[in-house]
Amino acid sequence: MSDAPVIPPRAPDYNPLDDEAFREVVREFLAENYPPHLRFPPHRLHWAECKEWYFILAEKGWIAPGWPRQWGGMGLSPAKQIILIEEFERFGAARLPDHGIVMVGPLLLRYGTDAQRRFFLPRILSGEHIWCQGYSEPNAGSDLAALRTEAVREGEAWVITGQKIWTTLAQDANWMFLLARTDKTAKKQEGISFFLVPMTSPGIRVRPIVNLELHDEFCEVFLDQVRVPLDHLVGEINQGWSMAKALLGFERIFLGSPRQAANALARLKALADHLGLADDPHFQRRYTEFRLDLADHRALYAVHVARLREGEALGAEVSMLKVHQSELFQRITAYMLEIAAEYGGLLEPIGGNRALHPGGLFIQSRPVSIYGGTNEIQRNIIAKNVLDLPG
Amino acid sequence: MDERLRSEDETIRLLRESAAAIAPRGGPLSRIRALRFTLPGFSREVWQEIAGLGWLGLRLSEAEGGAGLGMEACCALAEELGQGLVPEPLIPALISLPFLPPALRAQAVAGEIIVLPAWQEEPGALGPPRPITHFERGVLSGQKRFVPMAAGADYFLVAAAEGLALVPKDAEGVSLVTAMTQDGGHLGTLSFEDAPAEPVSAEPLSAGPLSAGPVLAAFAAALDEAALATAAYLLGLADRAFLLTLDYLRTREQFGRKIGTFQALQHRAADLKLALELTRASLWQAARRYDDPATPPGERQRLVSQAKARASRTALEVTAAAIQLHGGIAYTDEYDAGLFLRKAMVITPQFGSADWHARRFAELSPPDEDL
Ligand SMILES: Cc1cc2nc3c(=O)[nH]c(=O)nc-3n(C[C@H](O)[C@H](O)[C@H](O)COP(=O)(O)OP(=O)(O)OC[C@H]3O[C@@H](n4cnc5c(N)ncnc54)[C@H](O)[C@@H]3O)c2cc1C
Repeated sequence: MSDAPVIPPRAPDYNPLDDEAFREVVREFLAENYPPHLRFPPHRLHWAECKEWYFILAEKGWIAPGWPRQWGGMGLSPAKQIILIEEFERFGAARLPDHGIVMVGPLLLRYGTDAQRRFFLPRILSGEHIWCQGYSEPNAGSDLAALRTEAVREGEAWVITGQKIWTTLAQDANWMFLLARTDKTAKKQEGISFFLVPMTSPGIRVRPIVNLELHDEFCEVFLDQVRVPLDHLVGEINQGWSMAKALLGFERIFLGSPRQAANALARLKALADHLGLADDPHFQRRYTEFRLDLADHRALYAVHVARLREGEALGAEVSMLKVHQSELFQRITAYMLEIAAEYGGLLEPIGGNRALHPGGLFIQSRPVSIYGGTNEIQRNIIAKNVLDLPG
Repeated sequence: MDERLRSEDETIRLLRESAAAIAPRGGPLSRIRALRFTLPGFSREVWQEIAGLGWLGLRLSEAEGGAGLGMEACCALAEELGQGLVPEPLIPALISLPFLPPALRAQAVAGEIIVLPAWQEEPGALGPPRPITHFERGVLSGQKRFVPMAAGADYFLVAAAEGLALVPKDAEGVSLVTAMTQDGGHLGTLSFEDAPAEPVSAEPLSAGPLSAGPVLAAFAAALDEAALATAAYLLGLADRAFLLTLDYLRTREQFGRKIGTFQALQHRAADLKLALELTRASLWQAARRYDDPATPPGERQRLVSQAKARASRTALEVTAAAIQLHGGIAYTDEYDAGLFLRKAMVITPQFGSADWHARRFAELSPPDEDL
């Protein structure tokens, strides 16, 4: 593959900047361009609420920091990606519907056909296609390979029938990437294929589910004889499982990024200031411990991101990142609840200041150890695949 | 077992059974769901039932028109209410009853009026020794915060620096602002601007610790009793969240097995059981010794703090683990596990946070005891 740009990058190459200079660029950009009413959103925003920010990033060429420049990404080094994420979190920037950027892009870059890349990647960058992830099913969560949604070949189409659940922001997406069974006779991991499905297809029904934040953030998706053309299958038939596993590696490293814990720590500090506890020795002690945990996490994260950028396949070790970051996030929010006392039980942020919402953040930190593979499953992976323990 | 103990056990058993009228063990939570995020967030009809069951007079002496039962009974009842996530503010209402003038008290015991205490000014603390709310020349000025279910009260019993005062909710100079809580209830902030109020005691709170005079000592004790009953409520809710989780571990299948067969989950469940049993032991030790007239006041406070600190920690630990052990389904509002977590988030800090009680426990413990 030549390095000639297929999609010209809109942003300059920031890699030559030193880290502090880049940090300053990001801060300035946020201060000047981020829609103020979207700072510290109380929950994950719907597309209608956050698309203006998506379009601003798309216009600037910053929507896909990790994609190669040749495909319209920023091509940022791991260290700079971390800086970008940190500054976005610190500023209280909303998380966008990023499945296209984080999952589909890397998937197609690695396993897609050139035609698929040329069709889908520009549409992800522009925000024309918003993606959701259709893996989990009612009886296939941790045991994802037990999935029963089925795709049957009928002439020039695949016909997909089944049910997905916990599909984040499916009601906003116009495309879904999903896993479906294409060979019922094979071993369960070996009969699964990877499909790209328009959500506007006849036969798709979406039921939003209200989550613990009292927000309709994930959905049930019913597929009844949904027809997609043959070129909507990614990679080889019956090879969906290994692709999904590789992608889970990307997802886990994303989930292992320090962003949520870093954000929570900043909010903990703000809360302590608000409560007049910042100089309390008890608080200082706990706060310092969290800072150490975060600093070490960043170091471990940087090691893994560097390996990824050097083209190394991500091994089972990324599970460690996910376990540590999610639990650090949860420990910080639990401590927030402890010091906030009655304030921690409030439904709304303290004094209407969205950066001060210990109860909300505590609840938001719960599912982080569930989605993307539960922490129990991550520990199983570490024990089996990193430590090679028997069993 | 001696006769006295046996008859007490029988009373408690009957009391627990009677609780089923309002909060049947493991019963449906549809009533609780329907009341969430409404004002006042509980039902006056159920309050009437509560009165009819005699619970409002539970701690009052027979001379005062009550049943004269001890904290053991009170905690047994609170535990039942906790497993049912009952939103009616029985625990705070019990605080005010002994301090009311007889006519008003009779109405309150009959469930016709609701009098809630307004004592708190600082988050997480059990009673400010020097309140900034003042009661002088028959009027109240200042602010009380975090009054649970305040919108449902008819009167407030206000702990001011100069003593206790009684004020109707709709009195001139009283304003109430409510903030919704995660469980669907609310906390009230009460502001008083020269609000005319009735004196209940003239003992100044600012003269020293709460236990200065007999009425204020009684008020401080009532707060402690509420703390202990809250610990029991928390135990009840944590226990039920745990049972819900055990059921799920026994039925949910992944990888062709019940998830309860995975040792990682078995160990989590074992740890939660341990936390619950520590809580139970600490709670009943406190309740029994509280009821023993030979137990000195300082020791009562210490035992209450021990139990409340533990129950607060356990309730959050167990309800958060309940979510984790269920997986995705528990992150929905449709599934009940979240109701327990949200209730724990709200009730845990009430009547003294875990931290506040841990500190008081340390202050009241003789140096090097048990070492
Ligand atoms: C907020 C949120 C967003 C999500 N978004 C999406 C999405 O966009 N797309 C999508 O496809 N999915 C999504 N999911 C689903 C998520 O991936 C699943 O919830 C997760 O994989 C767990 O599956 P489950 O919920 O069925 O739990 P189960 O697999 O039933 O697990 C229940 C419990 O059993 C434990 N357990 C299971 N197996 C083992 C084992 N072998 N050893 C030890 N413990 C075990 C689990 O750790 C858990 O504690 C989302 C979930 C959440 C909470």
